[in-house]
Amino acid sequence: MIQFAAIILMMLGLYGLLTQRNVIKIIISLNVLEIGLNLFIISVGYVDGGIAPIFTGVASTNAVNFVDPLPQALVLTAIVIGVGTTALGLALAKNIYQKYGTFELDEMGEE
Amino acid sequence: MSAVLLIAVPLLAAFLSILYKKAAPYLLLAVSFAAVLLLNYVDFGTITIGGFAAPYGISLVFDSFSKVALTVVNILFFLVSIISIWNYKKLGTVLLVALAGLNGLLLTGDLFNLFVFIEVSGIAAYIITTTNKKPLATFNYLVLGTVGSSLYLLGLIILYAMFGTLNMADLSLEIAGSGASNLVTAFPFLLMFIGLGVEAKLLPFNSWVKGILGNSNTLSGPMIAAVYASAMAFVFGRLLTSVFVFSDQLMLIVSIVIIFSITAGEAMAYASTKAREILLFSSIAQAAIVVLVFALGFTGFGAILAAVNGFSKLVLFLVINHATEEVGSDEVEELKGIFIENKLVGAGFTVATLSILGLPLFVGFVVKMNVLKSLFMADKLIFPAVILLASVVEGVYFVKLLVKLWYKKDAPASVSFGLPIAYLVTVIAVLLIIFGLYTAPLTDLASDLVNITQGGLL
Repeated sequence: MIQFAAIILMMLGLYGLLTQRNVIKIIISLNVLEIGLNLFIISVGYVDGGIAPIFTGVASTNAVNFVDPLPQALVLTAIVIGVGTTALGLALAKNIYQKYGTFELDEMGEE
Repeated sequence: MSAVLLIAVPLLAAFLSILYKKAAPYLLLAVSFAAVLLLNYVDFGTITIGGFAAPYGISLVFDSFSKVALTVVNILFFLVSIISIWNYKKLGTVLLVALAGLNGLLLTGDLFNLFVFIEVSGIAAYIITTTNKKPLATFNYLVLGTVGSSLYLLGLIILYAMFGTLNMADLSLEIAGSGASNLVTAFPFLLMFIGLGVEAKLLPFNSWVKGILGNSNTLSGPMIAAVYASAMAFVFGRLLTSVFVFSDQLMLIVSIVIIFSITAGEAMAYASTKAREILLFSSIAQAAIVVLVFALGFTGFGAILAAVNGFSKLVLFLVINHATEEVGSDEVEELKGIFIENKLVGAGFTVATLSILGLPLFVGFVVKMNVLKSLFMADKLIFPAVILLASVVEGVYFVKLLVKLWYKKDAPASVSFGLPIAYLVTVIAVLLIIFGLYTAPLTDLASDLVNITQGGLL
């Protein structure tokens, strides 16, 4: 079920990217897209009734129902990368504002 | 020497260059020159990262394909840096990160690791393009690049959910062994193809190119059009030959995308009046031709074509962007006659264009000739037709451009190129002619590359 939510979030992000004409709103849409994607990746490793993939006193063998740890590691990396791109996008937004005095793409005239 | 150093040393140097800002350009030149020099001493094989053996951990693959790719990209990178870094000294750190990212792209044998390096080199590319002073175009590039790599990530995670592995070699074995139908794998492959297509300038996904390369300068133009483009071409080559299975409907979709890119790219180049736009639209078509050659299974000639295009694009974008900076406009009419006083640079520029065209005497001919010959023998007539048609259109606009740049009756635009550019252009032009006549090393290399192991060894 959670995969549907993730896909809906991704589609929402794409819709935002295609319809919004404001630089900040485009960055937010990009983030919504990435969050949906991250949720989707996490959902791939989901196991019904699974527990965190850490060896503890309770769960000391591989026979226990662990969830897949790899997607979690992937998401961690993807989140970091997403933050990097968002920061760069916001820095560019600042440059755009300094040059054109507006965040609205339609009010910028050229291009 | 281990191949990991090709990624680790530039990254280390990038951190160091933050501490010693003044030394950054020298650090960049030293590191990239060392990478070119030491590439020959890297041992072949698969390098395990982090102590987990190949299918489980991340592995780097250094085989004959990645060696060719790394050699070409590192040499191009060094040449662009040494010529252009002096005007953009602040970018030393970013360029070092870019070098680490590009080397990682070409070395990695893991799909997710590839995504990470796409993003690392991508973020460096966005920052490099800010030197164009067109923040809106850069922002457009950033949004498209991020969406593209997100699609790539979605595709690879679907593959992971289906086959339980991210290692390229392991994945291709799993796909072949599982007996999964082509329709099942078509969707993730298509997502990944689109994602990479954004960076590789394939047509429906490349609306960033005009804003970026149409306003490029002597650093960002050659860097994006020559270095990044050839790196992405090699990544495509790796994936198309060892991971992707294109057949039936998927091959049809991919062929249509590529053929559309070629024809539309050439048509737009034909219609442009600005020198930079002619070059950028023609480079879209060239990139699509390289992807087509890889998709049809000519790994060796695809790699050579990507390398030759990289060097030719370096010459073209360097010369035109330098002339544009001095003249202040990139309209071909304004640039008329710039080669009258710069005969050497003009000759090099002409050789590079003619080599891209694929005229005999130059390297481009060797590659196109061999690819077309084997396509005709395989009875696939549509692709040769498209390539030949593209060459004809290319011939028309390139010759038109050359005539305008060489001749003007009164008051030609005066541009002085300086010794480094003239020297570099001449050397590349001479090499293009030498390898166009003495073809044995190229054909040997091409047949050598056919036998690369699938995605490297396990």
